[in-house]
Amino acid sequence: MTEAAVLTGIRRRFGAGHPALDGVDLELATGEVHALLGENGAGKTTLMRILAGLDRPDDGEVVVAGEPVTAFTPRAQRARGVAMVQQHFTLVPTLTAGENLALAGPRGRLRPGARQLQRRVDELAGRFGLPVRADAPVAELSVGEQQRLEILRALDADARLLILDEPTAVLVDDEAQALLDVCRELAADGRAVVIITHRLGEVFAGCDRVTVLRRGAVVCAGEPVADHDRASLAALMVGTTNGAGAPARRTQPDGPVRLRVTGAALRRLQPLDLEVGAGEVLGVAGVDGNGQAELEALLAGSAAPERGTVTVDGAPLPVGRPRERIARRIAYVPSDRYRHALARPLSLADNLELGRGATWRPGKARREQAAAPALDAWDVRATGPGTPAAALSGGNAQKLVLARELAGNPLLVVAAQPTRGLDPEAARIITRRILDAAAAGAAVVWFGAELDELFAIADRLVVLAGGRATEPFTPPYDRHAVGIAMAGGHDS
Amino acid sequence: MTITEQPTPDRPVDRLLSGAAERPGLARIAVPALAVLGALVIGGVLMGIEGVAPLSAYGEVVRGVFGRTRGLIDTAIIATPLVLIGLGITIAYRARVFTIGAEGQYIAGALAGTALATAGPLAGLPGPVLLIAGLVVAVLAGSGLAGLTAWLQSRFGASVVITSLLLNYVAAAALAWAVRVGIRDPGSFTPQSRDVGAAALPGTPLHLGFLVALVAVPVVAIVLRRTRFGLRVDVLGANPEVLAVTEVRPAITRMIVLLVAGGFAGLAGFVEVAGVTGRMTPAFATGYGFTAIIVALLGGLRPLGVLIAALVLAGITVGFDEAERAFVIPSATVGVIQALIVVFFVAGDALSRRER
Repeated sequence: MTEAAVLTGIRRRFGAGHPALDGVDLELATGEVHALLGENGAGKTTLMRILAGLDRPDDGEVVVAGEPVTAFTPRAQRARGVAMVQQHFTLVPTLTAGENLALAGPRGRLRPGARQLQRRVDELAGRFGLPVRADAPVAELSVGEQQRLEILRALDADARLLILDEPTAVLVDDEAQALLDVCRELAADGRAVVIITHRLGEVFAGCDRVTVLRRGAVVCAGEPVADHDRASLAALMVGTTNGAGAPARRTQPDGPVRLRVTGAALRRLQPLDLEVGAGEVLGVAGVDGNGQAELEALLAGSAAPERGTVTVDGAPLPVGRPRERIARRIAYVPSDRYRHALARPLSLADNLELGRGATWRPGKARREQAAAPALDAWDVRATGPGTPAAALSGGNAQKLVLARELAGNPLLVVAAQPTRGLDPEAARIITRRILDAAAAGAAVVWFGAELDELFAIADRLVVLAGGRATEPFTPPYDRHAVGIAMAGGHDS
Repeated sequence: MTITEQPTPDRPVDRLLSGAAERPGLARIAVPALAVLGALVIGGVLMGIEGVAPLSAYGEVVRGVFGRTRGLIDTAIIATPLVLIGLGITIAYRARVFTIGAEGQYIAGALAGTALATAGPLAGLPGPVLLIAGLVVAVLAGSGLAGLTAWLQSRFGASVVITSLLLNYVAAAALAWAVRVGIRDPGSFTPQSRDVGAAALPGTPLHLGFLVALVAVPVVAIVLRRTRFGLRVDVLGANPEVLAVTEVRPAITRMIVLLVAGGFAGLAGFVEVAGVTGRMTPAFATGYGFTAIIVALLGGLRPLGVLIAALVLAGITVGFDEAERAFVIPSATVGVIQALIVVFFVAGDALSRRER
């Protein structure tokens, strides 16, 4: 085995806060399938984007096939044989498979004919055992086919080091197994394959060595998979300390049931039962793409359940009627605040008024005057209520959202990653205020990405994996068990 | 995990037209003013090449508007449909609903209103009743055509730009048919409708329609600034997903916006018939629906700005009409200058945004 790539001391920081990568070393060998394991935001994808030339490190050295990399561009890295299949595919949906291949690797100046393209696709597909229909536009192919085409395109450029980002997230089990088999063959052919994943199952099903990242640092450096079991990898992934003793706040979780979800299912989300009482904080943990987005949409009333019901205080939660939701005192803090909560060109005062207020509005001066106390109370730092929301920093923008949503003693608070991307001080204030709302009698559902945070705030914790919810965990939380549940521990 | 698609099919249009409502203070006035000025300067150069002394020609243009009572009246008459249609377009474009179907809605309104006002069975009714009924029907017809655009978008995802543009041709064909067959005046050799007669708007030559347009300006301003609908229009323009999470389904607001814009265009159509032409002819449509887009953009998507821009463009038209009589100026010159205003406006708009 020779070294396909060596990364040394890679650092990368986006904005303030914790660096995405904090001095990461990684060494990849030819002929192996290497698993890169970690939670959301552990830095897996960032690290591999750097290797593929899609991003630059702030510091550190990358050596591919013995030569140090100086130009971090996708083209330069492709020329060195590094190819990455990203989670979001980069195919042209209106072109056929062959046309997509020809676009990436043109042969000659003329646009190739249909038969020529068909031959090119079939030849590649046959050689690597990755069947793809050549005659249909990519948009009509299944997700699995699109992924195979992405891989074929990389192999067409003779990739020696192939990176697959969460390749099985979109596949059914059979497809996933077939893909792992292909990866095995590619490795046997003298290539190196990296699989970014958070599923323990496939680490054991098809990988030789495993590197685990946690919060931008390596906690397990290329150890043989055979030396590990599920439990040890789950522990490495999420850390070993349990939820720092007693949570910051414990209340009476025996208030009346406010939110009741009965057998509600939506797309990826399997039928789910939940009850959250007044004054209770329910944490929802899980890796992205396991049903959180669907549950968030259900609880926010932006999508109706395909089956089952969602009720608040006994009455169905209004779907598609946001003003009614707000009148029922259901607060919603979306996970993407700029996309779903704020109209950026509009003023702070106007943003505070969204979903509230009468048909006739007072004059601009009066509106801004009326908005000032709320902005002060939440310490939203801006030049005045007339400032456009686009001028706010992330923390202040989130405070603005909460100032609006938590006004008027909500009965239910649906908060999706309310502290994401915020500095610790802003995160602390926002956490405090949401817990205050719970203490005042609200039922709170808190979708979280960081276990430490969830352990500190949640009275109960459910984990979503593969669209199913686990039985609720209760404090003191067993980080280990939660980690296994997040990694899909209860399937196979 | 799947191929990401662009949510809005009208992105290039969006980029081109969206800046007007967001431009900062000075540029909001300076950009359109300089665009008009620049267009007039280039227009002068072109006239110079044609052998006309530009300054005396422009002198005649100014005299044509301000040098006689009729000049100002004509300006007001031409500005009337531009203001009415421009107000509707202002509302639509603030919501980033880029309809260009006003011309067709204007024709539809005029046809429907005329058909009602000249209908045989209603001939005995008093003039004001016919007039008001005609105006109401005109609003409904304009809204109806715009509503078709809205429905095509919400049902099939068809681009508002494309469908609204193409429906203009449907309306033009309907006009050609109507004046020859549908509402043709049987007593006339040339294809035209009957005169609306008693249903005409009071006032000659300056008809009451100008007053309607003047009143509509503050009304629209108040609706935009002081009502929930006005806020929803701006939120739809800023971020439809936020509208969906906090206020109402965007499709509903988009539908209302299109209906209102179509209503204004339809109203302008019958106001033109009842106030100016008296009847429909094959040459009825003269492009007000398109010029009003320029008016709305020059006016910074603000009602007062629309009024000013409409008066300026109408004044240029009237002035050149007059100047063409005194000098040998090709009649295309006005069109060239209008086009140049658009070019300079778009360029100036891009420049003013780059400096920020």
